[in-house]
Amino acid sequence: MTISGLGPHGERAAPPERVTLLPEDRAAAKARAFRVAVVLHTLESDWARQQLSGIVGVLGDCATAVTRVIDCGFSPSEQVKALDDLLAQKPDAVISLPVANQEVAMAHARLAEAGIKLILLDNAPTGLLPGNHYGTLVSADNFGLGLIAAEGLSPHLPQGCQVGLLGYAADFFATNEREIAFSQWMQTRRPDVTICHEAFARIEEAAPKTEALLAVHPDLAGLFVVWDTPALHAAEVLMRSKKPIAMATVDLGEQVAIGLAQGAPFAVIAAQQPYLQGVAAAQTTILTLLNRLTPAWIALPGISVTRENVVESFQRIWRSPAPQSVLKAVGLIP
Amino acid sequence: MAQDLTEISGLARGKGRPRVAETAAPSLVDLLNLIRADDPTTRHELERKSDLGRAVVSDRLTMLADLGLIDESELGTATGGRAPRLVRLAAKQGRVLVATLDQTALGVGVADLSGKLLTEHHEAFELTAPPQALAERLITLLRWSLDRQASPAGLWGISLSVPGTVPGAVGDFLSRTPAVLPAWEGFTLVEMLTRTFGAPVWMRSSVDTMTMGELHGGAGQGLGSMLFIKVGRRIGAGIVSEGRLFRGAQGATGLIGALPVHQGDRSGTLDAMAGSDMILREGRLAAETGRSAFLADQLRRGGEISAIDVAQAAQMGDAACMEILTTSGRLIGQVVATLTNTLNPEVIVLSGAIMQTNDIILAAVREAVYGASHPLVTRDLRIIRSQMGSSAGLVGAARVGAELLFAPEFLKDWIMQGSPLKHPAFASFREALDMAPPPPALSPPPSRGAI
Repeated sequence: MTISGLGPHGERAAPPERVTLLPEDRAAAKARAFRVAVVLHTLESDWARQQLSGIVGVLGDCATAVTRVIDCGFSPSEQVKALDDLLAQKPDAVISLPVANQEVAMAHARLAEAGIKLILLDNAPTGLLPGNHYGTLVSADNFGLGLIAAEGLSPHLPQGCQVGLLGYAADFFATNEREIAFSQWMQTRRPDVTICHEAFARIEEAAPKTEALLAVHPDLAGLFVVWDTPALHAAEVLMRSKKPIAMATVDLGEQVAIGLAQGAPFAVIAAQQPYLQGVAAAQTTILTLLNRLTPAWIALPGISVTRENVVESFQRIWRSPAPQSVLKAVGLIP
Repeated sequence: MAQDLTEISGLARGKGRPRVAETAAPSLVDLLNLIRADDPTTRHELERKSDLGRAVVSDRLTMLADLGLIDESELGTATGGRAPRLVRLAAKQGRVLVATLDQTALGVGVADLSGKLLTEHHEAFELTAPPQALAERLITLLRWSLDRQASPAGLWGISLSVPGTVPGAVGDFLSRTPAVLPAWEGFTLVEMLTRTFGAPVWMRSSVDTMTMGELHGGAGQGLGSMLFIKVGRRIGAGIVSEGRLFRGAQGATGLIGALPVHQGDRSGTLDAMAGSDMILREGRLAAETGRSAFLADQLRRGGEISAIDVAQAAQMGDAACMEILTTSGRLIGQVVATLTNTLNPEVIVLSGAIMQTNDIILAAVREAVYGASHPLVTRDLRIIRSQMGSSAGLVGAARVGAELLFAPEFLKDWIMQGSPLKHPAFASFREALDMAPPPPALSPPPSRGAI
């Protein structure tokens, strides 16, 4: 396993094998009948559904009840309210994906103060410390995802061209890492490429921000968007403009997989393994509840997905067959 | 909007009367530091603690508010009459950029004027790279961080944590780059940062900043005494006594890595005998000879072995790697035991990437310290691993930056102008930099927003 990035506090990543559950762990958890709440940024994305599926399945194996699943709709205020509501319900643990940095840090710290174990997904707000405020952060190697995207997009970029980078305006560990890594790779391996930066604060802004980027830089040859849902909005803009602009993004959602199989506009996808991340998060939760030592940061490597390996990657990541349109586009069915 | 009160005072001055700047500055410095120390406070508390009369306090607070240095917009809790106005440092007005330069990683962050870290990023970077490459990457990351954390008064200072003693570092900002590492001879990092960002630069050793970070944001919070041990290629100690970092005469305290130690018939410095270079060397040997099955497998698959790999293998139960780390921990423990008996700390915090990865060094240090210390010294002693990781260096650098910005000796010369960027000595330094021949261009110049 190669992990390129460092954790939110500069930690070296631990592999998910570090939190493998032994039969005695499952037996101990079953005897305690824990209750766990899950707080996610959204429940609308393929990524969130897969992550939740991994979490719920493993917790079920350990007779641990998932008592609440909360969709914060990317809103820091909604998340603060949800976490404060959970204080009253007092689950044994909360698995949370902090949707922002400073705005939600104190609400997460209040859980720890109330004795509720906290496991973080994807993001650790500045000031929260492993061991004090939360047990473990489980995430993809987001820095590695940015590197995969840059390396995969590079062959589609002519010498001396401009590349758009559509980032996320929120101060969010995962997307910050992807953005920094993408730029770092381009600056060191493709110094001829100029990166043109734009950022969206809400997913609905992805399309207008792409239009703005194109208005200022009409000759863009490539575009990296920091995850797939806003990338689809950006792709619609590019297709309307009828410009041959190669795209790269993170996460192999169904629509993105179709675009990749058809050869446009997506050239490469840096895919996370959300189901396995969910499994690791649930295993970590059980070990934390059993007061076992868990690493500060567990990271899973990303997968480079191109048209050539889209079918096998889809099956590997989503644990289900690739869509018919993908199979058709790559010629596996008539 | 902040006003420059030197001009106001100059216009209002009558013949023979001293300038407001001359009379007000000392009390403004005192009041601002009382506010920082007790944030938030009230006018009543400030009158009590400052020994200044109500009218003078009121006048000085008005001046500080006009300068944009304090905020009185919030009300406190009423205790009978009207709720008192809370007086706070206007911490969000300005920003301090912070960075940690470690042997194998680079960390950057942005803090507010109270020294609170707002955001951080860490990435792998070999400090053996050419200094120019380090400067380019650092400037790129700092620029990106600052763009995302804009503030009304902009950037007020840059505080760096570096892997070595900073000779003669006192309160003043730096006007040249100290040769912290042999490769830094002739390196103009401080000058480049000042030219690029237009703000004063401070520098402290990573042991100093990490100790400060642990003291103010980690296991040392609220404690009067602490011993902080950083384990890496070099092994250093940070000493906290009476709630303050002890820096000695030259800022060269805690250089325990230079002490001689013995292991069987071998002897050498603690750095050489117990640092990460030893762990790596012994780990490679264990891989090549097959004594470590875990590392031998990694080597067979063509993987590089790092000291972190050795530590991770030890944590996963590899006997040869456990032995290597136990040896390191015992040697460190012997030296730490001597310090512990000398200083009688409340807590010993072990830190560094190797420490984050495993518990074996921690266990060996505990065994050595408890076995070699006076019972009174160890009665309530806690020996723990830092939970802050590399964040300790950034949190500490932020704290150092905030303290030096508002250090009375520095503050008195800029407070009437409302910004440290207008400090006369700093303004002169910038002017001299502008007059000097331009430095070699950084290549390629990153576009705005690019990282």
